Amino acid sequence: MQSFRLLRTAALRAKPLSSTIRTPMRRGYAEAASDKIKLSLTLPHQAIYKATDVVQVNIPAESGVMGVLANHVPSIEQLKAGVVDIIEEGGASKQYFVSGGFAVVQPGSKLSINAVEAYTLDEFNVESVRAQLAEANKIATGSGSEQDIAEAKVEVEVLETLQAALKG
Amino acid sequence: MAFAWKAAGVSYNKYLSIAAQAIRKSLKEQARATAERRSQMELKVSRWENGKQGEAKYLGTTQQA
Repeated sequence: MQSFRLLRTAALRAKPLSSTIRTPMRRGYAEAASDKIKLSLTLPHQAIYKATDVVQVNIPAESGVMGVLANHVPSIEQLKAGVVDIIEEGGASKQYFVSGGFAVVQPGSKLSINAVEAYTLDEFNVESVRAQLAEANKIATGSGSEQDIAEAKVEVEVLETLQAALKG
Repeated sequence: MAFAWKAAGVSYNKYLSIAAQAIRKSLKEQARATAERRSQMELKVSRWENGKQGEAKYLGTTQQA
């Protein structure tokens, strides 16, 4: 009985305190209502984007091309060679051809893309892509070692993707 | 076809280096020269004994013939 009363008085004392603090119910993510995602696109030798606010990023994940907007579910994606499409604030879009790497979506609308090489499409030479593709195709269908053929097939795949991106 | 290269015994690391190499070679002249200079590396090794550097052994370069 004694302890019950103690609890009661404690509750009474606590009551006015809690009623003065008028914090609304907080729910996850709601306060970060920004519709921007902070993008970092980094190479071993250069940071192209450094926590820059952008609207959307389309990445060539191994499981397919995916678009990342603000408040995306945290995930790690392995990338294949392909075009990273960045829609910046104001609607301008930028395209980079990356070699592959990893994209990490972190909580709080952060996206980090790590790649070995990334260049804008206008930095490529269409002619040398074609020449390399012919060369790689020759090795891929040739009678080299299994290892050579497998590597040439990778090269063909990468170059075909690049060629398609340059045409489009 | 995803992972076709993996079935053929190519690791993702190898995939990346092939892809990066292909990209570097596909660049326009100026960017290509810069990129290829960046990937140039040399490796030398030498053993230190009693605070003295032993003979340096040259292990090679990434520069392509």
